Amino acid sequence: MPVNKSGTYGEIKISDNAIASLIGSAVAECYGVVGVTPKKAMDKVNELLKIENYGKGIVVSSKNSVLTIDLYVVLSFGVKIPEVVREIQKRVKYTVENALNMDVIAVNVHVEGIKVN
Amino acid sequence: MNILNSKDFLAMVESGSNNLENHEEEINTLNVFPVPDGDTGTNMAMTFTNGYKEASNFLSNNVCDLAKALSKGLLMGARGNSGVITSQIFRGFAKAVEGKNELTVKDISNGFIEGARVAYKAIMKPVEGTILTVIKESAYYASKELENNSNLTIEEYFECLTSNAKKSLDNTPELLPALKEAGVVDSGGAGLFRIFEGFNLFFKGEAIKKVDIAQVELSKDAKDYLGYKMFINLLLNPEYQKGFDTSIINKRLIAVSEIIKMDINNECIDFEVNTVKPGEVLNVLQRYGEFASLNVENHLIAKKPQKEYGIISVSQGEGLNKLFLELGVDIVVSGGQTMNPSTQDFLDKIDELDNCKIIFILPNNSNIILAAEQAKTMSNKDVVVIPSKSLQAGISALALFDANDSKGNNEKALTKAATELKTAQITYAVKDTSFDGVEVKKDDYISIVGKTIIDSSNNLKELCIKTIERLKDDDSSLLTIIYGEGSINEVNEEIVKCAESIGLEVEMIKGDQPVYAYLFGIE
Repeated sequence: MPVNKSGTYGEIKISDNAIASLIGSAVAECYGVVGVTPKKAMDKVNELLKIENYGKGIVVSSKNSVLTIDLYVVLSFGVKIPEVVREIQKRVKYTVENALNMDVIAVNVHVEGIKVN
Repeated sequence: MNILNSKDFLAMVESGSNNLENHEEEINTLNVFPVPDGDTGTNMAMTFTNGYKEASNFLSNNVCDLAKALSKGLLMGARGNSGVITSQIFRGFAKAVEGKNELTVKDISNGFIEGARVAYKAIMKPVEGTILTVIKESAYYASKELENNSNLTIEEYFECLTSNAKKSLDNTPELLPALKEAGVVDSGGAGLFRIFEGFNLFFKGEAIKKVDIAQVELSKDAKDYLGYKMFINLLLNPEYQKGFDTSIINKRLIAVSEIIKMDINNECIDFEVNTVKPGEVLNVLQRYGEFASLNVENHLIAKKPQKEYGIISVSQGEGLNKLFLELGVDIVVSGGQTMNPSTQDFLDKIDELDNCKIIFILPNNSNIILAAEQAKTMSNKDVVVIPSKSLQAGISALALFDANDSKGNNEKALTKAATELKTAQITYAVKDTSFDGVEVKKDDYISIVGKTIIDSSNNLKELCIKTIERLKDDDSSLLTIIYGEGSINEVNEEIVKCAESIGLEVEMIKGDQPVYAYLFGIE
């Protein structure tokens, strides 16, 4: 769902797409990530859960102004996966919290594939 | 030098690792991108130390094998973004020098070029102005230098690599706004620079050693330390006596203890350490010599203050346990319908209260009073058993306890409160039964006074209200309700309302006790 805030001069609405783009940009800059759209897996998930907002392997849900982010990524072969994932979580949480001024309670990283060079 | 052999390769890596570690804190302070968490220095140091460790433990005279071991160690020990990228750089390096037992300048140059390439491959949107830029530019310019001068020596190559790394590092604020804003260079890039600097210094004959580990300062809480204090005089074995780097003992010891003193005199070392694992301390030191003298003091047993009275109370349910402790009970013992403490249990608890002169026991259950009385007979301590037959009675009695009063007065007061309290318990029937004219069906709620079922109903609220009304007499003024598992919030509210309407003050206690949904006490 989009983020709605009331400002002194009017309303602020941040669309799902905007949020997804913001996160997508942060994730793309994370070391070890070589892809953010697991295609087939994502379709199945979308079908099963009927998630409303879905954009390029990034799922954002908000409850009581607190965000939960699910990422579906493909990592590079040869990197230390737990460490890369930790960095993604750190980076995404930091970026989103600073850009939107909203609390991020979880960044769930789903490693959908490993790409060998 | 024109050929790099395995021995020099390892020494080079060690120098790089040490140099990085020596600058760990400095690099931490530079860390503002991508997340300002100030841990790049530590992350890279730990990563590279692990890499070096793996390489140094690998027995081989071939540089390719050591490079691979280094790569493996870096991968396993990678911490943080920078750690991961560093592992990729040397992964590329190892790949490029595969099969080579010794390296020429060209091999080394190709190694770092490949390192840069592999590093860039593992990210969708490489950010310039980071460690990636530093490896790319330094590897590139050093290789260009080699192209222009085929007679370049290994020393000259590393000098070029390092100076270009520095140039690239100093330029990172121009490429990354976040760095410019903070007025710093990139922390990851700085880490890589320090590694290369370490390599370079080795070839210049100034290999970097780790800074001597400073003596651990006595913490201001040392007096309050809970654990063991060990005084050890270690007589070093001959091979560890002269010229041995004792900092390794220091490092191993720090992992299992806090070193207060470590005085080295030729053949022996005097230790004073605080530890919670004395066995580990002994294990570490045993390697290096024999124990000329060994003294261990136990600080774990905190000195308990002497006091006049100690109270043991039987309880059940987390809420009630906490309540008893808050009311001044020293030890809470698990009890109840199915888990009655034994005489031995009481004796053990009485022993635990060795700092108390007189012990009071609240059995809080008619079945447990006997065990408590037996413990009193068998113990040689001064024990008083209050004949409380229920948890409610125990609470009621406790309220009258006065630590400043005499034993006799306390015994009288507590016994009176415990026995005068009128109590009832609400629970559920596990089977159909008939008791003294009361018909009970399985799963019905039943109300018990003493050992008698006085009523039953499938309506919890009704049963509770009826029970309370029955217990109340003209002198009653206070109703205590302890609610546990099986109680229902709405019913709680109704009971309170009803009790207040018939003139009773109500106190609600969350007991969490099993089996009995409600315990009532009226006084």
